[in-house]
Amino acid sequence: MEPIVQMKGITKRFPGVIALDHIDFDVRPGEVHVLLGENGAGKSTLMKVLSGAYTPDEGTILLNGKEYSRLTPHISAEGGISIIYQELSVVNWLDIRENIFMGRLPMKKVGPVSVVDYATMNAKTQELLEKVNLSSRKPTTSVGDLSISEKQMVEIAKSIAFDAKVIVMDEPTSSLTEEEVQKLFAIMRQLREEGKGIVFISHKLSEIVEIGDRITIMKDGGYVGTYQVADLTTDDMVRMMVGREIKGTYQHLPEENFQFGDVMFECKNLTRKDGKVKDVSFSLRRGEILGFSGLVGAGRSETMCAIYGAAPKASGEVWLEGKQLSIKNPYQALRQGIGLVTENRRETGFFQNFSNKRNIAIAKQLKNAKLDGMWGFTNEGEEKEVSEKMRQEIQIKCASLEQLTSQLSGGNQQKVILGKWLGAGVKLLIFDEPTKGIDVGTKSEIYKLIRQLADNGVGVIVVSSEMPELLGLCDRIAVMAEGRITAFFDIADATEEKLAKAATGDIA
Amino acid sequence: MKEAQAKKFTFNDYWDRYSTITILVIMIVVFGILRPTSFLTGGNLIKIVEQSSITILLGLGEFFAILLGGIDLSVSSTMALSGALTAKFMAEMGMHPAVAIILGIFVFGALIGAANGVLVTATGLPPFIITLGTQAILRSLVYIITDARAVSGLPATFSKSIGGKLFDVIPVPIVVALITAVVLTFLTTKLQCGRNMYALGGNSQSAWYAGITVKKHTILAFVISGICASLAGMVNIARLAAAEPNAGTGYETYAIEAVIIGGASFFGGIGKIPKVIIGGLIIGVINNGLNMVGVSSYYQQLAMGCLLILAVTLDRFFGASRKN
Repeated sequence: MEPIVQMKGITKRFPGVIALDHIDFDVRPGEVHVLLGENGAGKSTLMKVLSGAYTPDEGTILLNGKEYSRLTPHISAEGGISIIYQELSVVNWLDIRENIFMGRLPMKKVGPVSVVDYATMNAKTQELLEKVNLSSRKPTTSVGDLSISEKQMVEIAKSIAFDAKVIVMDEPTSSLTEEEVQKLFAIMRQLREEGKGIVFISHKLSEIVEIGDRITIMKDGGYVGTYQVADLTTDDMVRMMVGREIKGTYQHLPEENFQFGDVMFECKNLTRKDGKVKDVSFSLRRGEILGFSGLVGAGRSETMCAIYGAAPKASGEVWLEGKQLSIKNPYQALRQGIGLVTENRRETGFFQNFSNKRNIAIAKQLKNAKLDGMWGFTNEGEEKEVSEKMRQEIQIKCASLEQLTSQLSGGNQQKVILGKWLGAGVKLLIFDEPTKGIDVGTKSEIYKLIRQLADNGVGVIVVSSEMPELLGLCDRIAVMAEGRITAFFDIADATEEKLAKAATGDIA
Repeated sequence: MKEAQAKKFTFNDYWDRYSTITILVIMIVVFGILRPTSFLTGGNLIKIVEQSSITILLGLGEFFAILLGGIDLSVSSTMALSGALTAKFMAEMGMHPAVAIILGIFVFGALIGAANGVLVTATGLPPFIITLGTQAILRSLVYIITDARAVSGLPATFSKSIGGKLFDVIPVPIVVALITAVVLTFLTTKLQCGRNMYALGGNSQSAWYAGITVKKHTILAFVISGICASLAGMVNIARLAAAEPNAGTGYETYAIEAVIIGGASFFGGIGKIPKVIIGGLIIGVINNGLNMVGVSSYYQQLAMGCLLILAVTLDRFFGASRKN
């Protein structure tokens, strides 16, 4: 059958990276076409080309028999392409009918003036709600009162109202319960019957097998292939999704007969009030680097925030060097010798109005100050001393210590943050995506620094979404899915395939 | 690595450091040329300094609210309430002035500030809304306490000491303001809590993750603001020898202007205490100078408004440290 949309050889470059490298992708009427790839494989970029948000550098797009070198949001929408993003785009303070007909309100003439035709709007909305099995809700219900699953149905109803031919669903099941997933699948099957083309993005292999007809696999911006779902096993899918060679940026080779020290840090049955972390237990030996792998939203950062006191715990124990800690806020963590290098440097890592000197010295001074870090003298000499020492030790490249940290490169900003914690004398340092947005050269420097820390007896935990990073750096890797640890791997028998499989929640 | 190279000293660097004092000097020169015999006299300059002391005191407190990226609109009402309470203690209860002053400043002023701080941290609402509310509440309390009548009959020792002059020359109010400024300069530059407040104003998220106790520092900032406003209240009742229920109405605007003209960032994290004094003096010079030149008071607000916008605009274009 003729595809509704056919993308050929799509290439998209961003400064320094090729986000999409000659990708072929098509959607036929009456099929569920799965798009599979790791975080950063280029799925979202491809869908943004389809929606007209990005202009491809190469390639053609055939939409309804017409060839384009690029789509605009207008052409894409007129051509019947509708995208339902993971972050739903419904407006909570409007009601269902207004959300569905936003920007296209049905009008009627009353004398010389055009007014909104609410009667038609209500009737059409009612019809659409029945179609998506949401007839229990009135067209005038405020969308803010709906559950996530119901909001998704409203988005689908909106796509139908716009007469969409292709509906792209970006990880629609990530925040749904099993029952809600089944409801969604029922609607998807019904839409497929009606001849719509559905693009389904998901990391959950069991769902892919259940609902998918064809599957296109991407890795690192490249095209792996398009297959019939029935022809592949889930193991095939994982292998093709991650099957790349591990790039040799850094590979830790333990010395022969190397022995780890005692258990220096333990986390027992940690659970968070908001349910993002459930019953997480692990321990860390001296000299060891423990990695945390998993998909975005699996609860890795959330676990670390709870240990660090930045988010409330519901239950669980935290032990450091044989002592049970009660940490209720980051200040207490700092006092106990725990540091956290956060994922977003600019938002949560340093102070834009502070010089390198002050950004480095603040943790040490805060730790030494009394009265919850309020009372104490800011010792100019000590500030200089600690920041100069850190600059030399970890080779922070800056014009001067008086320079604002915000003027440094990402890698050097990260070193300033590292210097802040080392200067304060941490016993346990947690890294969340330590090399995010950092160039390759500085990356390997940072890896070496992290390894040095572990060798010097500091406990090190690394959360990362980059599997090669974890495989090259860590001694042991924990994998999380849906708030729980699903597996531990010793580095000797960890592979990307195993990590990816555990990350989907299929416990090996 | 290269040490900071000897950089050429540019106009931007100059403006970054000396913008506020330059504006003050220019204005004194201009008014001095226009009215050499009345404006530029020792007596008049002392009068300006004395009149500015309340604005400066309010501005010193306001500085901390703005440093944290917030604002305190209640300083004017706080000033009136502590003034009225202290006046009542002395005039109607016969309390010793020293005790009444200490109560007014360190108990009531600090408590009002703490209440603002607790409300801001507990509700998570913008300080603008909270202090807009407390401004009205506190003003109402002043009317209730005083029955909307001025409290007079303050002890002469009180009005003479606080409202008088040192060695018959230096007005005591400006001495109070300067001592406060010295203490607060020490706090912002030498104490950890001061450093933490700059950090918090620069990036509250980073501050939280760095281990700064955000709520406690926020409350501290408002307590300082309350104490400074109460000091202004003492000076005000001493100068008038009475507590007016309408005292200080609208003065929060002057306080904010003094801080902003003094070069502090309205978004928090940037500013210096000594510049608040200059900011307060600039406001005093404008009001006094325009009077001397014979400009109708209707135009004085207009001049203030223009100057405020001009000063901040110039900072935006020339302030080297804002370029990041």
